Amino acid sequence: MIISRISRFISNFDNLLALFAGACVVIAVLLILSLPLPYAENQLYPKSLNAGSPLNPYDRGGPPFTQADIVVQYPENSPYAGYVTAYLTPLSGFMAAHTLYLGTTIVAHPGGILDEILYNTRGLDTVVESTILFIAFGIAAFLFRKGS
Amino acid sequence: MSSVGGATLAHLPFGDIVIYITPFTLTLFLLALVFTILVIASRPERQLDITFGADRIITKETGLTEMRFRRFMAIACGLASMGAMLTGDVFDFALFTSLVGITNVGIVAAVKSRHVQNAAFQYGLVAMAGTVPLFGAAAMVAATTGTLSMLELAKEATSVVPFAVKAFLVLGVMGEGMAPFYAAKAEMFRAPGAPYVIMCSLSSLLIFLRVIEVVLTV
Amino acid sequence: MWNEYSVGLFIVLISAAIGFLALARETDDFHRLLLIDLVEIPSLAIIALLGTDLAEALILPGLVVGISELLALSQLYIVKEGLRSRPVKSPGIEVIELAHAPLIISVFLVAYGIVLSGFTGGGIAGLGVIFYIMSRGHSERFEIVEMASGISWAVWIIAFFVFMFLPQYWYMAVMLAAVGILLKVAAKMSLMGTMWGAHDE
Repeated sequence: MIISRISRFISNFDNLLALFAGACVVIAVLLILSLPLPYAENQLYPKSLNAGSPLNPYDRGGPPFTQADIVVQYPENSPYAGYVTAYLTPLSGFMAAHTLYLGTTIVAHPGGILDEILYNTRGLDTVVESTILFIAFGIAAFLFRKGS
Repeated sequence: MSSVGGATLAHLPFGDIVIYITPFTLTLFLLALVFTILVIASRPERQLDITFGADRIITKETGLTEMRFRRFMAIACGLASMGAMLTGDVFDFALFTSLVGITNVGIVAAVKSRHVQNAAFQYGLVAMAGTVPLFGAAAMVAATTGTLSMLELAKEATSVVPFAVKAFLVLGVMGEGMAPFYAAKAEMFRAPGAPYVIMCSLSSLLIFLRVIEVVLTV
Repeated sequence: MWNEYSVGLFIVLISAAIGFLALARETDDFHRLLLIDLVEIPSLAIIALLGTDLAEALILPGLVVGISELLALSQLYIVKEGLRSRPVKSPGIEVIELAHAPLIISVFLVAYGIVLSGFTGGGIAGLGVIFYIMSRGHSERFEIVEMASGISWAVWIIAFFVFMFLPQYWYMAVMLAAVGILLKVAAKMSLMGTMWGAHDE
């Protein structure tokens, strides 16, 4: 009796999202009850702030074409890790030399610590991520063209 | 290392993300590979509509563009499953799993039927909601242990990842792999072009099997 | 030991639970889509609580996955609800000299975007393409935009393999990746413009 009612509820696919959201609420409450969680001391790619640097939140490297010192998981797999971190394009280098605020637009320029992580040490993540975007774009484009 | 999947056969390093192959993951990988090849080789089925009384049989034609699009999605789904089987990094696994989720939406969404599209939309909503626990759990693994690599996590004698975080990860995979619910209802019986829908069910099965190994290992 | 991480996690998880509770009660499809977009913010916050450079590098994929699924699902919603023949007018930018002026401005924007390169450069170059398409009312360039997206993806894969197997050529790889993201963002931006104003004639 109860089972048939449950199965009727589940078989309507409009209800499945509600069911999943309910499960998420339950697990979130379980997580809250299991707090506090420990925070590991030895993190990868630790963040250090240097307020005087023009690259402020992202300054990890020395002059371009030198190897900066960054904490990676497997240093033996990326012998050249740190070069991208230290690199700035000539335009960015010019802006860094004349203003103090290049760090706020660091995503605009190739090089820097984020590019190092995104393309070099964790490059496979970025490949999968852009594949997801490519697939989603393909679905949207197919549906759009079919509609028009 | 004490691995559930057996002894490690090989490593394939991509920077910080190291792919490792055990007999367990190799078996699942080969399964995904075989089905992807089957999808590439097979022709879509044609569905028959039989009208009783009028003595009439209509063959539903699948359009060429629709067929090619769905085949592309099915192959992408197979590749994503292969990646999810082999990867040795928790966040990378989360990304591959959401790739499986979105390709499953694509396989179903291309069908020109209001009912099927409605099911695909509902499934897409669940898959999108599933990314929240999936990425959240991966980030919590990194914060509580200081690493994302499964090889490093497996070195610990006891499990260092809290139980609730593991439950969160499994919940996320459940959200991404919920496609067969919809596929079985909307697709197999109502939509033409059946072979591609096998990928939905197979990829869900594979990511469920893999997440169990991940949860037991870390 | 209630460290800062646990306190932050406590707040974020409560907001996530509230969001999911709202999602469980909502029955309208469109509002469900909006609520899921809302619920994704706590997941980004959980990643951000990691507080290292790694966290910023993980937020980007997390954000992109959310946005791309939203793109696919909203298009699916439009098709499913049959909303495609809605009367949307593009702004219809008035130009005096139809032949040359938009072309010159677009070329300038695209060139400047290429000089900037990277993410912002892609945005500016995409803006140039949108401006050109809007002022001309062209929509047949859709396939080209789609192809550019595919090419940028391939460029990115090449950059990845250079990084992994020929790390001494890291400089070439980072430039390839920058060109890839430039093409990708430009293609996406101009696509938004095309999709929005396609049925205005």
